[in-house]
Amino acid sequence: MDEPSYLALIHAEIDSELNDHQRADLSRLLLADPAIRALRDEMHRLNRTLNAIPQADPPAELRANIIAALPQIPARAQRVNWASSRWRYAAMLAGVLLTGSIVFRLVNFGQEPATSEMAGTLAPAHSASTSTLDVIQLPQGPVSGQVSLVGDGSHAALEMLLAASAPVDVVIETEGHTARVNGLGPRGSHGAGPTRIDLPGSATEGRPVHLTFLMGGQEVSRAVLQGSKSP
Amino acid sequence: MKEYDDATLVQRSLEGDRAAFSELIVRYQRPVYNAALRLLHDAEEAKDVAQTTFLNVFEHLADYDPNYKFYSWIYRIAVNESLNTLGKRRPLEELDGEEVDGAPGPDRQAESDQTRTVIEDALMKITPELRSVVVLRHVMHLSYEDMAQTLALPEKTVKSRLYSARQLLRTMLAQDGEI
Repeated sequence: MDEPSYLALIHAEIDSELNDHQRADLSRLLLADPAIRALRDEMHRLNRTLNAIPQADPPAELRANIIAALPQIPARAQRVNWASSRWRYAAMLAGVLLTGSIVFRLVNFGQEPATSEMAGTLAPAHSASTSTLDVIQLPQGPVSGQVSLVGDGSHAALEMLLAASAPVDVVIETEGHTARVNGLGPRGSHGAGPTRIDLPGSATEGRPVHLTFLMGGQEVSRAVLQGSKSP
Repeated sequence: MKEYDDATLVQRSLEGDRAAFSELIVRYQRPVYNAALRLLHDAEEAKDVAQTTFLNVFEHLADYDPNYKFYSWIYRIAVNESLNTLGKRRPLEELDGEEVDGAPGPDRQAESDQTRTVIEDALMKITPELRSVVVLRHVMHLSYEDMAQTLALPEKTVKSRLYSARQLLRTMLAQDGEI
């Protein structure tokens, strides 16, 4: 047998791609020729060496960066489900509220409203049955502030009051839904009031709400809020 | 999220479910990043390639043919992106033999640094086309059939390239006493 043929058999053996007939051929050759046995041993050592090439962990921020860079929907998407429409409307509403607050503050420049008054502009007072289910204070860092999970048994929402040196984008994930709210909380600029984001479904089932805070497309903080369990 | 197969996650992504696409990222970010890292020998470029790969996947999700394996499709995009990145490098940069910056995980410190460096240097000395098949086989552990599908090449060509690559690596590593 010429060299390329027995080499091919050795490579196929390494890759577990030999059929029975080929395996028998290779066994015959190995028995007959010590040089082929030596070559086969060397190829197996090479295989072990190459298979030991280490796997590196991808950068921790890779997934968040990709999610942050995604356009709204894939090209030529066939249809959009109800839940994602609702999320988009929530994000649009947040944008409208943000824009409204900017206009409000520009018009009232020099007549700084009290924080509570500002909050009232953006986030109406809770109804009597609405309660706070969880509150987190973000630690000092590129983005800080408070995020509350509120609900009234049938609806749930996030209220975010953020401070940051640059606009913050927030990716919200809960129960398989993902939404993103852009441009929140730059300190000392416009739009620093609380922002309310409606969540799909109820928040009283102990489900977690994962938040990823991004600045300039880079993840800067994470948080998880949890609705209380049903009694 | 419940464990869905790739086809279901693709379909849900097409319907606007971003969590489904996020799950695809979780599932494939490691192999995609590692393929790029081994092809490029540069952690920063590998990260960029991985990100571009997933954005391209998202952008062209409607073009994916479910008759083919999803991972073959995504690996093909990753390999092509890596080869494009290599093509943009100046010729000297590819051969400068510098250490990968920032790539190693904690366990890599325990490995023989010399052996790893010799293998990585040897990989960078063969052509990108031959390196691609080595990475698909020995890093991604694909079969001949999947490699052929990933590279859009006949299986015979894939085998020929893999055998040639191994012969070259065998010679190089034997000279360095690594096998």
